[in-house]
Amino acid sequence: MSTTLAPVPVAPAEPPAPRVGTPLRERLAPYAYIAPFFVLFAVFGLFPFLFTFYVALFDWNPIGDQTFIGLDNFTRMLDDPRFWNATRNTVSIWFLSTVPQLFIALLLAHLLNHARLRAALFFRMSVLVPYVTSVAATAIVFAQLFDRDFGLLNWLLGLVGVDPVDFVGSTWGSHVVIAAMVTWRWFGYTTLLYLASLQAVPRDVYESAAIDGAGGWQRFRHITVPALRPVIIFTVITSTIGGLQIFTEPLLVSPGSSLTCGSVRQCQTLTLMLYEQGFGRYEFGYGSAIGVALFLMVVFVAAVNYLLSSRIKADR
Amino acid sequence: MKLRAIVAAVLLVTAACSPGSGEGGGGDGKSFEFWSFSGINQKAAVEEYKKKRPEVEVKLTEVGNAQETAQSLTTALAGGKVPDLVLIQGDDLPKFVEQPQNFVDLKTLGADEIKGDYLDWVMAQSVAKDGQILGIPTDVGGMAMAYRTDLFAAAGLPTDRESVGKLWPDWNAFIETGKRYTEKTGQPFVDNAATSVFYQAVNQGSQKYYDDKRELVYSTNPQVKSAFDLGIKAAQAGITAKLASFAEGWSAGMAQGRFAVVAAPSWMLNAIRSNAPDTAGKWDLATVPGKSGNWGGSYLAIPKRAKNPKAAWEYIRTMQSPQGQLEHFVKSGALPTTPSVYQDPQLTARSEPFFSGAPIGTIYTQSLLGLKPFYIGPDSTTIGTEFLNAITNVEENGGNAATAWDDAVRNIKTAIGK
Repeated sequence: MSTTLAPVPVAPAEPPAPRVGTPLRERLAPYAYIAPFFVLFAVFGLFPFLFTFYVALFDWNPIGDQTFIGLDNFTRMLDDPRFWNATRNTVSIWFLSTVPQLFIALLLAHLLNHARLRAALFFRMSVLVPYVTSVAATAIVFAQLFDRDFGLLNWLLGLVGVDPVDFVGSTWGSHVVIAAMVTWRWFGYTTLLYLASLQAVPRDVYESAAIDGAGGWQRFRHITVPALRPVIIFTVITSTIGGLQIFTEPLLVSPGSSLTCGSVRQCQTLTLMLYEQGFGRYEFGYGSAIGVALFLMVVFVAAVNYLLSSRIKADR
Repeated sequence: MKLRAIVAAVLLVTAACSPGSGEGGGGDGKSFEFWSFSGINQKAAVEEYKKKRPEVEVKLTEVGNAQETAQSLTTALAGGKVPDLVLIQGDDLPKFVEQPQNFVDLKTLGADEIKGDYLDWVMAQSVAKDGQILGIPTDVGGMAMAYRTDLFAAAGLPTDRESVGKLWPDWNAFIETGKRYTEKTGQPFVDNAATSVFYQAVNQGSQKYYDDKRELVYSTNPQVKSAFDLGIKAAQAGITAKLASFAEGWSAGMAQGRFAVVAAPSWMLNAIRSNAPDTAGKWDLATVPGKSGNWGGSYLAIPKRAKNPKAAWEYIRTMQSPQGQLEHFVKSGALPTTPSVYQDPQLTARSEPFFSGAPIGTIYTQSLLGLKPFYIGPDSTTIGTEFLNAITNVEENGGNAATAWDDAVRNIKTAIGK
C-alpha cells in the first residue's frame, strides 16, 4: 500500500559456525522457535489435506462402516452429471467475477494514483470497506437487491415497464448475482494491490509522457498496464484459486434450497457439492473425491498461470 | 522416504481416531450433558426438571439449529466427546437409526415399559432393524392449514373453520378452492406447491419411499406418484405465490398477505407469529385436506459412549411421560406424542388468540389419530428433496411438467445410486 519500507535491520554479526561441541539443546532451539506454526499447520493443514486423499478411496460413513473401494468414487464422479454441472457453474461464476473485478480494479487504481486527487487517503481506504464486510452480510443484502418479488432491481425494472426477473431462479441470473457479490467484495483489495505497485512507478514517467502529448488513456495503456504486469498475474492466480473454491455466496443466495443452490442446481459450485455430499448426505468418501478433483484443478490452473507468467517475464 | 513416513503417521492417527473405541458409563450419575437445538426454549424444560430433581445437574448446550446439532452429533460420534443426552429432529433420525451401534439400546434401561405410551408410528421411526430402540419421541407436528380469514372474506369464501375445512375434503378440492380465490382476487392462494401440497400429500399414504420390508419403492409406489401429480397440478394452476418455505421472501410474503393459506404443523404457529406479528387475529386453522397428517417431531437419544446414561434416562422418564409432555404443551405449545392425554381438558381447552381462538390441542391431535406407520429410511430426505426440487422447477422456473416425474426419478437414482 505504501512505498515506505520498514527500516532495514542492521545485520547481526555472522554467528559462529556450530561446532561439534555446541550443546544439543542450543542446536535444536531454532527449530523449537519455528515449531508452533509448523505444528499447527501439520495438524490443521497438512493432516486434513493428506487425509482427504485417503478418505477418497473409501465408502466412508463417519458413524458407520468404512469400506475400501479403490477409485470407485472417482469413476462415479466422472459419470455424475451433477459434478460436471458444478464444474461448469464454478468456471462460469469465476469468469463472470474475475474479469470485471480486475478491470474495475485496474481503472480505479489508475484514478486513485492521480497526482491531483484530493482526499486521496479517504478514497483509497474506502474501497477497502466491502472487503472488511462479512460475506454473510454482503450475501443477504445482494440477495435482497436481486429478489424476485421485493428486490430493488426489479422495482427499478418495473418503473420502466419490464416484468420482474427471477435472477436467483435462472442459471445465468444466479451466476450474475453471485459474481456481483464476489466482485463487490474483492475489487477494493485488488485495487489496493495495484495501487501499491503503481506508486513505485516514478511520477516523472507520467509527467514526461504528458509533456510528450500522451492523453489519459495512452498513459494508462502504455505506462500503468505494463508497470502492473507482475501484480496483474499475481491477482489472476489468487482470484482463480479463490474463485474455484467459492462457497459462502452460493450457499446463501438461495435460502429455499441452499445445499443445491436452487431447484435445478443452477448455481451449485464444486465446494457446495462437496459440502452437500459430505455433510448433507454423510458420504465423506465421495465428498473427499470431489475435494481431490478440485485440488487437481487448482494445481492445473496454477501451473498454466506459472508457465504463462514465466514466458511473459522472459519476453521482457 | 519422508513422504512415506508422513503417510504412515497419518494412517496411525486415523486408526487411533476410528469410532467405537471405548465404552460408556463411569460418570458420577449426578449430572449429565444435554445437547439440544436453539430456538425451542429447551431451557424452560430443563429448569422444570431442576425443580423436580434439585440434586441433579443438567449441563444444557444449545448447539445450533436442528441440522447443525445433528452434524455436531455425527462428528462427536465419529471420535469426539459425546453428550449424555441429545435431541434429534425426525428428519435427521434415519441416518442414526441405520447405525444403531452408536447409541444405547433404550430397552436396556426400561424403554419396553413406556413405549406403549407413545403413538405407534412415531415410536416405529426410532426402532432399528434389529429391534433396538434409539430414541423416545418428545413432540410431533400434527397438521392443519392456517388461513387468513380477512383475505377469505374478501374473496367471498367462508371464514369459519368448520366451513373452510369442508371446502377441501381432498387435495383436488383444495386446488379448486385456490382457483376460485385467485380468479376473484387476482392474488396467489397458497405459498408454494412443493411443500404445502406435495410434501403433505405424500405423508398421508400408508407407504412412502420404502415398503414395509424396507425396500425402496419411490419410483413404483402409486401413492408417491399421485402426490407428485397433485404437486404439479397445484404448481400449474397459477394459485401459488412461488415462495419456497422458510426463504426470506416467504417470511416477507407472509407478513404482507401475499398468500392466504399455508400448511401449518403445530410448530409453524410460532413461525407465523414471529414473521407476521401485525396479522394477529386474522388467521385461523382448518383441517388439512385428507384430514390427517404430520410434519416434524423430535427424539431424545443417548449415545453409546455417554458417561451418565442412567441420569439421562431418568430425565427422559420424567419429562417425556404423558404428564410431562402435557405440562410442556401447556407451557410451549409443543404437541404431545402420548395419545393418553389427547382428551385431557388442559389440552382441549387451550385456544390461540392469534389464530382467532382456534383450539389447537383438538385440531392437531385429531390430525394425528388416522395416521399409519410407514418406514422412513436413510435416503428418505434425499428422495424428498429431489421431488420437491422437481416441482419447484415447474412452479418457479417454467420447467417441463410432462418430464418432471422422470427427471426427478433419474436425479434420485444419481443421488442415492439405486
